[in-house]
Amino acid sequence: MSSSEVPPGNTAPRARSREPLSDIRSGIAVVWWGFFDWLAVVSWMKLAVVCLLAMILGGILNFPLLALVVIIASLIIKVIASGKRRAEVTAEEATRRAETEQLERTVVEARMQALQAQIEPHFLFNTLASIDQLILTDPPRASQMQRSLIRYLRSAMPKMREAKRPTLGQQLDLCTAYLEIMAVRMEDRMQLAVNVPKGLTSAVFPSMMLQTLVENAIKHGLEPKAEGGRIDIGAEVVDGRLAVHVQDSGVGFRPGPGGVGLANVRERLQALYGDRAELIVDLPAQGGTRATIMVPYEIGAP
Amino acid sequence: MPPAPAATAIVADDERLMRDQIVGQLREAWPELAIVGEAGNGREAVALARSLEPDIVFLDIRMPEMNGIDAAKALAGEAHIVFVTAYDEYAIDAFEHGAVDYLLKPAEPGRVKITCERLRARLERKPLPMDDLLTELSRRLGVGKSSSDHLRWVQASVGGNIRMIATSDILFFRAEDKYTRVQTPRFEALIRKPIKELVLELDPEEFWQIHRATVVRVAAVEQISRNLRGNPVVHLKGSAETLEVSRSFHHLFHQM
Repeated sequence: MSSSEVPPGNTAPRARSREPLSDIRSGIAVVWWGFFDWLAVVSWMKLAVVCLLAMILGGILNFPLLALVVIIASLIIKVIASGKRRAEVTAEEATRRAETEQLERTVVEARMQALQAQIEPHFLFNTLASIDQLILTDPPRASQMQRSLIRYLRSAMPKMREAKRPTLGQQLDLCTAYLEIMAVRMEDRMQLAVNVPKGLTSAVFPSMMLQTLVENAIKHGLEPKAEGGRIDIGAEVVDGRLAVHVQDSGVGFRPGPGGVGLANVRERLQALYGDRAELIVDLPAQGGTRATIMVPYEIGAP
Repeated sequence: MPPAPAATAIVADDERLMRDQIVGQLREAWPELAIVGEAGNGREAVALARSLEPDIVFLDIRMPEMNGIDAAKALAGEAHIVFVTAYDEYAIDAFEHGAVDYLLKPAEPGRVKITCERLRARLERKPLPMDDLLTELSRRLGVGKSSSDHLRWVQASVGGNIRMIATSDILFFRAEDKYTRVQTPRFEALIRKPIKELVLELDPEEFWQIHRATVVRVAAVEQISRNLRGNPVVHLKGSAETLEVSRSFHHLFHQM
């Protein structure tokens, strides 16, 4: 972190004043810093040759002492300047490398977390146990639930290369597979209302984010509540931004394990859109949690 | 041998399908066992067990209101406990080393039979209190829950709504009159918690106090300059506001 003063040497004075005195002063400054920079980058060999020439010139012009002083001063400046220069170059390189590395790491980490956070073993095993029970008591429903699980697993599988940008409609479809499963398991402990205008299903919406909000709403909102509750999913366009919300009437937001999924959503939004996207978590007066993701409104490829 | 009175049991699981499953399997493995009640959460299970006094209680681990482990604690010594779970690595590991029985959903019929035989043998004795095991289970259930004790969310009111603001979104906190202002790149909100309490709860790696009245998120700092009095001034990413560093916190910026 540097202070706000301009680093010397590399920048020529930009403002040209008409006053002759300050013209001369800035002229000297330019020459001085030019000399300083030259000293910093010139090889020792060249400098030795130049010093020799200066000594000869000093001898011819009969200023040997002046020549000696200039040479010694140059050598001292050379030592200081090259050290400073080297440090500057190293620092610049390190900064550049750190920035690139940081960016790469963020992207990779975001991707990895997105993949990891997806299939929760607890969900998977409980669903399989439920299917096992339905096979005995209600085979058609067992088959239906198994198909939902397959759809869910397929959507949650890592897709490193996505041909098209995901749309809200696709993301909603993937959530319904999960919600269908939870509806069978939770029975009347879960009511669902989806209110997404048809026109918005083609809007671009990042993958697996709606899924995270929906899973949070079930896992941290409704499941811990004995009587369960309802989930509302909705979307609207506000000031050129697509706002997608998931609201539950569950036990309310409790910071803790649920934060991992949300932190991941937040990081990915930041990586994808910077400041143009945001995640908002509200606690409505009537209870429960309302999570909203806002992204720039764009129509995706059909 | 005189016929022993039929053993009784209750089954607790928040999902009906899972209750049906374990009840069905118990009927097959142990037809004489009377399932006298079913509960949908831990609290119900404890209440039901207190009123019906069954010999055995089958408890799912993850249930609303009160989890299976806490229910088992409440019922310690009153009934024989069998835990039922679909997947709980931490718990299964503990069960392997403990005296308590458990079933994995969906349970193999052979495995249910073994559990039933063990229970028949145990019914002649008093239920074990299992204190150590349950304490250990509670501990394991808590592991991973709070990855850190530091504040990660701040609850603030924004335009009549209560909003959860992630600490990673916050630029700084600043004491203002009776309130503390929370500033993010997009909005500001007021909270009642004073700076001196916040400082204790925030992650000291994430937030630095730079003034009696100011706490800044380190990652939000763009650069430091000096004001006319020579004091360092913090410039932030995403806000034009600058924050002065008071004398007692100068040392924070010496190494930078």
